[in-house]
Amino acid sequence: MSRRIAVLVFPGTNSEDETLRLLRDCGGNATCVHWSEAEKLQEYDAYVLPGGFAYEDRIRAGAVAAHDRMMDAVISAAGAGKLVFGICNGAQILLEAGLVPGTGDVRRPTAAFTGNAPVPHFVCRHVYLKLVVDPQRCAITAGLQPSALIPAYSAHGEGRLAADARHLEEIVAGEHLAFVYAHADGRVDADAVPNGSALGCAGLVNRHGNVLAVMPHPERDGWNFNHLARAEGDDVLAPSGGAAIFQSFVAAVSA
Amino acid sequence: MVSGPPRRPNVALSSDELDTIVRRLGREPSAVELHAFDAQWSEHCSYKSSRRHLRKLPTNGARVVLGPGEDAGIVHLGEHGGRRYGVVVAHESHNHPSQVVPFEGAATGIGGVVRDVLCMGAEVVGVADPLRFGRVEDPHAYARYVATAAVDGISAYANAIGVPNLAGDVYFDEGFDENCLINVVALGIVEESAIVHSHAPPDADGWDVVLVGKATDPSGFGGASFSSLTLDSADTAANKGAVQVPDPFLENVLMRASYRVFAHLRDRRVTAGFKDLGAGGIMGCSAEIASSGGYGADLNLDEVNVAIDGMTPEVIAVGETQERLLWVLPPSITPDVLRIYNDEFTLPHVAFNARAVVIGRLTSEKRYVLRHRGAIVMDVEIDFLTGRIDDELPYVEAIRHEPEHHELPAVDVENVFPQILSHRDVCSREPLYRRYDWVVRGTTVIPRGASDAGVIAAVPGSALGLAVAVAGNPRYGRIDARTAAELAVSESVRRVIAVGARPVGLTDCLNFGNPHKPDRYGEFVAATDGLAHAARELGLAFVSGNVSLYNESKSGGGIPASAIVACIGALSDVAKTVTPGLKRAGSALLWVGSRDLAVGGSVLAEVLGLEGPLPPVDYEGERAAIGIVQSAISSGVLLSCRAIGDGGMLTALARLAFDAHANGRTIGAELDFGNPLCEAGGFLCEVSDDQWLDVSGALRVGTTIERPSLVVNGTTFDVSALHDIWSRPLGEIYP
Repeated sequence: MSRRIAVLVFPGTNSEDETLRLLRDCGGNATCVHWSEAEKLQEYDAYVLPGGFAYEDRIRAGAVAAHDRMMDAVISAAGAGKLVFGICNGAQILLEAGLVPGTGDVRRPTAAFTGNAPVPHFVCRHVYLKLVVDPQRCAITAGLQPSALIPAYSAHGEGRLAADARHLEEIVAGEHLAFVYAHADGRVDADAVPNGSALGCAGLVNRHGNVLAVMPHPERDGWNFNHLARAEGDDVLAPSGGAAIFQSFVAAVSA
Repeated sequence: MVSGPPRRPNVALSSDELDTIVRRLGREPSAVELHAFDAQWSEHCSYKSSRRHLRKLPTNGARVVLGPGEDAGIVHLGEHGGRRYGVVVAHESHNHPSQVVPFEGAATGIGGVVRDVLCMGAEVVGVADPLRFGRVEDPHAYARYVATAAVDGISAYANAIGVPNLAGDVYFDEGFDENCLINVVALGIVEESAIVHSHAPPDADGWDVVLVGKATDPSGFGGASFSSLTLDSADTAANKGAVQVPDPFLENVLMRASYRVFAHLRDRRVTAGFKDLGAGGIMGCSAEIASSGGYGADLNLDEVNVAIDGMTPEVIAVGETQERLLWVLPPSITPDVLRIYNDEFTLPHVAFNARAVVIGRLTSEKRYVLRHRGAIVMDVEIDFLTGRIDDELPYVEAIRHEPEHHELPAVDVENVFPQILSHRDVCSREPLYRRYDWVVRGTTVIPRGASDAGVIAAVPGSALGLAVAVAGNPRYGRIDARTAAELAVSESVRRVIAVGARPVGLTDCLNFGNPHKPDRYGEFVAATDGLAHAARELGLAFVSGNVSLYNESKSGGGIPASAIVACIGALSDVAKTVTPGLKRAGSALLWVGSRDLAVGGSVLAEVLGLEGPLPPVDYEGERAAIGIVQSAISSGVLLSCRAIGDGGMLTALARLAFDAHANGRTIGAELDFGNPLCEAGGFLCEVSDDQWLDVSGALRVGTTIERPSLVVNGTTFDVSALHDIWSRPLGEIYP
């Protein structure tokens, strides 16, 4: 029996279907688990927290969901070394739960993904995630090439990494900054950042490398049909592009 | 005996209608009955004056699975794995509420039309929004506030429920200063064997009537009749109470819980009825779902989950609280459905006192009975309440404003083209739509704004594609309501063709002024003639639609005639999508079209201060052009394509160059065409140079080049300079 992946659905989650579909298309044995069946979570081997607006983003995106009982299971699983991957709202929840960067106590966040700057609006835009740590630093990225570029869509109103100077310093010193925003050619500059995020941060990893939080959605550019530049004759239904990080995750779960 | 205080004056019913009610009941109506008839007999619910004209529209065709009449229509999309899939589509307006409270009005517009699609048993896969705003140049103008807050309302609601915004258009025109138009199209996918209807099925006597969703509150009381009156800014404060409060968080959970219920009903092979609560609230929805199945209903308002105590029965019965739906279910399955909503999806914990609850049952007596605190507060013949009422209003034949046909002066393209690209109707819409989530669900094939129509992969695991585009140009509507309606059909069709899809169905929303003014009503009538004619000529049917009248303020300002059309397209294989942007240098540019080169209604005419009539649509030419483009696609020679619309052929070419650049290809073009700024219709196509002669019936108008320049009749433009001019204007309004 292959290892089982739970896709968590909180009230307000909205990206569970495509996340589940891409995990399965990449060979993962994945199932959605809803908030009313939290007790089932401990049976799983790995966890994906998909995008959406869990608990309506009340207080701050992810802040309420971080205290949902589903997160009790995720926090203890992360502590036991199981893999946890959060995307967009899932990433916000992981920060609010204190699992990434993980430099403080559980549920005492040291950094947050908060309101975009300079314009505090929801912005939908195509971006690239650039891997800026050694792929082996994080189990979930271990299958990627060094400096890998992952196409994705940034679609959020609260994705700006914010922390005080000391905690930003810890993020850099502890190699928690896993991904930054980049252009298609790999260049990194302020224009590539859709939300004013500190350090150009698009993704953070915890100390042990088993919990990864990324703001943009790789699963929305995850199949050939999503790419305008696909080659003639490509199977339009095949996973590609953003699927690279899902493939790496699934491989790590199975390892 | 029906109890309750006597009738009150604050209703929109005419005195003739009141007399009819009193005669039929043989007594004065109770307060509940009065408000029930007021809602049910409003134009908004009854189409009492418009129906006779809507009958002209073609509604049948080989691809039509379900025509107008239920909450949404359905057209056949295609087959996959031995299953037939349909596109469920609804097209609504939320104009009046959005003018008064734009954020909430536009947000609840999304919520309502999404539930119209959901209740057909469908998974909701997208929305599209045609928007018409007033002048936005003055930062302090109310019209500017409306234009920004309405976009934020759409964004807040659709983003949260996880439905991508696939297509839409926006026009700014002084005619909408006091009356914005917020139209919304919602799209769903359903397996055709699993459609859930908006009426009670056969043998449903005694079945449970189950209300699902938000706790009923006093918001939205009088909404139906409010939509059937003209707006007066002096009444704004009073009107605000008629607008509902949006809760996309609850709708998100309701949608997912309903998907689970659909699956359960299919497993158990149970047929049920499901319907959105819209105008007329619990009363309107339950009366229609019962009467259209041939039943009456007996409901107890004390069972309704309410937000506050002490609401009067008429508010509970007729108020239009959002995020509610109504099932009719066989009693054997009711406990399962209640468990899914209330326990698995924990509705009572998602929003205050939200839940699924049995409020009564269907009856074989065809009466509509409401009880409240032990008393009967409404007891009427159900068919009298929901039956067809007719109100034949006089109209005068719409005048075609036939300005003299001016010879087009020589156009200084170098100066005029930048003005056209930065014109409010042509410049980039990205500042608006980047606030929408157009990629949620992971199905995007053509990103929002990247071509003439949005395209998604419609069915997981299959290559079936769904395209959608909208049209309805107010500059045309101002000149000639009928031809503008015809052009709305033909433009929406061409937009769907341009991305490689086959048009399979239409929807319409008819936004017009006060029908009691014969000249305004004449525009409405002319538009229905135009829609019917164009659809027949192009072999398409309308499967869904909406009428929004009274779009004017008491100061007398009417809106430009606005028949807004959406065209649904099907792709058997999304690999065949025509992707955005020029593909390579050295290709032939072809014009495929036939329309007169007149300037009437064009952006060019507005920029130059010219007037002119709208040339009639040449359907033989339209059909020929469509055939040419479709055969170029199927033979694989078409590299890129745009339908020619606002700003003419040169604007279409610029967009193709911009999209090439956005995808990393530096390609320009040389264009040699008499007047490239006329909105000549047809298509601009890129075809490889050695194959263009195979495209018979097309006119070669240029060649693509390796430089990032557009060379037009000898004048050279730099593509990135043009892109700057085109992309900036709306950024000030939507930072």
